[in-house]
Amino acid sequence: MTQPRTPPPRRLAILTDYGIIWTTIGLFVLLGVTTEGFLSPANLRNILDQQSLLLITGAAMTLTLIGGNFDISISASAINAGIATALVVNATGNGLLGIVVGVAIGTVFGAVNGAVVSWIRVNSFIATLATSFVFYGIGFLMSDRNIIRIRETGFSDIARGRILGLTKATWIAIAVVALFWFVLSRTRFGRHVFAIGGAVEAARLAGVRVRMVTMATFVLVGSAAGLAGALSASRTLTAQPSDDFSHVFAVLAAVIVGGTSIAGGDGAVWRTVFGALFIALIINGFNLRQIDPIIQRLIQGGVIVAAVAVDNWTKSRRI
Amino acid sequence: MNHHIGLCGVTKKFGGAVALDSVDVTIDRGTVHGLVGENGAGKSTLGKVIAGVHAPDAGEMTVNGEPVTLRTPRDALALGITLVAQELSLVPQLSATENIFLGIEHMRGPVIDHAATRLRLMELMEEYGIEVPPDQPVSRLSVADQQKVEILRSLARDADLIVMDEPTARLASTEAHNLRRTVAKLSAKGVTVIYISHFLEEVLDISDTVTIMRDGRVVRTAPTDTETRSGLIEGIVGRSLDTVFPIRRVPEPDAPPVLTVEGLTRQGHFRDVSLQVRAGEIVTLAGLVGSGRSDLARVLFGAEPPTDGTMTLDGRDYRPGSPRRAIRAGVAMVPESRATQGIFPLLPVRTNITLAHLAGFLTPGGVVRPLMESEAAEKVSEAVGLTGATIETRTAQLSGGNQQKTLFGRWLVARPRLFIADEPTRGVDVGAKRGIYNLLTQLASQGIAVLLVSSELEEVLGLAHRIIVMAGGRIVGELPGEGATETEVMNLAFGASAA
Repeated sequence: MTQPRTPPPRRLAILTDYGIIWTTIGLFVLLGVTTEGFLSPANLRNILDQQSLLLITGAAMTLTLIGGNFDISISASAINAGIATALVVNATGNGLLGIVVGVAIGTVFGAVNGAVVSWIRVNSFIATLATSFVFYGIGFLMSDRNIIRIRETGFSDIARGRILGLTKATWIAIAVVALFWFVLSRTRFGRHVFAIGGAVEAARLAGVRVRMVTMATFVLVGSAAGLAGALSASRTLTAQPSDDFSHVFAVLAAVIVGGTSIAGGDGAVWRTVFGALFIALIINGFNLRQIDPIIQRLIQGGVIVAAVAVDNWTKSRRI
Repeated sequence: MNHHIGLCGVTKKFGGAVALDSVDVTIDRGTVHGLVGENGAGKSTLGKVIAGVHAPDAGEMTVNGEPVTLRTPRDALALGITLVAQELSLVPQLSATENIFLGIEHMRGPVIDHAATRLRLMELMEEYGIEVPPDQPVSRLSVADQQKVEILRSLARDADLIVMDEPTARLASTEAHNLRRTVAKLSAKGVTVIYISHFLEEVLDISDTVTIMRDGRVVRTAPTDTETRSGLIEGIVGRSLDTVFPIRRVPEPDAPPVLTVEGLTRQGHFRDVSLQVRAGEIVTLAGLVGSGRSDLARVLFGAEPPTDGTMTLDGRDYRPGSPRRAIRAGVAMVPESRATQGIFPLLPVRTNITLAHLAGFLTPGGVVRPLMESEAAEKVSEAVGLTGATIETRTAQLSGGNQQKTLFGRWLVARPRLFIADEPTRGVDVGAKRGIYNLLTQLASQGIAVLLVSSELEEVLGLAHRIIVMAGGRIVGELPGEGATETEVMNLAFGASAA
């Protein structure tokens, strides 16, 4: 029997709903006051540029998580996209074509993940962990286990060129974030993502095409990872096969610290932006104060646990 | 006689709904005590209060004449009381022996003493004459054997009172017969059994004393040999109409059929169902829980595929295949479980209302037009009488009644042809019930065909133009809505299931 519930007090709503904004602003002010060099335009521009690739994948990953799934394989997709981009640029000299191929690789990998999760119904965490290994393997095959150096040095302009003082990678990230923000909050597709993550059977009974929409969230995050990988190749003028999961962990940390629910059905792209900035500010502050990188890691891990703990604690108020 | 359990003035409320209203019962040691009543009459709640699952809000309970306060099933177990629920609670991977002695294993130092455990099980099985295969994982046992494992588990904990809640609901008839023998053996050994069942013949056959419940109250407790089947049914349905039903408007005599179903079957759920719902007509599907009504509703809405039979909607062949296509064809369904199949608790009322018909508020590019959407949601929330909430309130904050109205609203954004509602008033308060009755009647008066699944007899009788009774996955009878009595409906519903 369902018990009628009275709404919980909403007095703290502004604190709990937007907690990540206040903490990020607080940290910003704190660093501005205490740390020399933090407020310099060069430093701030640098923070944005460093976060640009993470924001591109993170914005898309927000959709995947809200839809109730994980994608662990984006590290592998990004690495493959970088390799493919590097190979294409070296072969054709066409930078734009390189980026397009990189994005396309990510899109195809995303479609594979989506198909495995939606149609074969493998748990998304396990499915994308498994496809990660396949994708990493493809990366080694494609590159013949070599670091690929891009000979066309002009290609670095795509990521590192500047418009109005900000790098092009920053501008691309802003555009991608804006796009996903819009898609998630304003389109029918975005609604359906929320519905599926919130109550999958209810979504089906409301006429939502659960498998198609789930598939699309994987395709999108794959494309975004492809773009991030291609831009990374442009930024460094190299691409290297590896089986490094660090990109996906950084992305997940940003999404979760921002307050998007890992259980699905709740979250926002702006949250991921603040989550990423919050973590970036911590790291930047540490670097400016020359704190040992090993200590940085310890604290960073602690911050993520604390953020999720606070989120759990406030969840009852948010509902 | 030796009183085992005494209840005096026991009251239990869930939110606003009174599940038990000042119940007085005494249960004698070593007897089989039957509890009968409609769905929602409070018999399961009573069983759970005795077994410590629910703490009563008021009233006193005595065990062996001593006043007790039970807060958890553990408290009850300490006094020898256990519950064998309808849904069994065994660990499927473990064997019968492991399940029976889970948490009370015979130990030798840090390891389980398998020989001693086995010996104890053999003793138990012999003492009570209840046999189960001891070593197989219980998931491989039949439901009947699993039930025996649960009973043995109770006995291994020295229980002398077992509450059985609908123990035969999931058993085949021969198995049900065996269970009766088991109960008889238990009672012969001095174990008290509280036997909650829909199946009146069973209760008449097995019990020494029977208590009839209705609307959370005890109608009477009497020795079973003074009761008859018809007497029980009369007591079960009684008279209790404090909800006012809107006036039924008779559908046009020449109203065309909207839904026609012929020989519809879903293997393992229902068989050979043929029925018709005309425009403007409210047809209710009555019957006991598990009679196949909800499965039928889900097939009609495309949520499950049928295995045989045909459906036509407005004279055209209707094969939905998915809820999405059913919705496109003009079918709407308020599902049985509001919490898991209906609402999106984290989303605002507005989104919950418009989700199924967002296509009406989109730009060609698939972008939601916020103003149009809000306007439609406002209009609908007013039409369904949503109170105490705005369309931006998170749905989790609404009462059950308002959540249900939100779900009705979802299907009123666009006018459906066929409206299916599965237990729409479950767990909602009286005021919201009346609102929902009004909505259903309004829908019908607009020429929409309404198919209502309900276990509440008074609303079946109060709303229906026609009543179709299902039992055991088949249609067992049809009654006119006007003039039918609760006894007639229950006779049909119980009749077939006891056969």
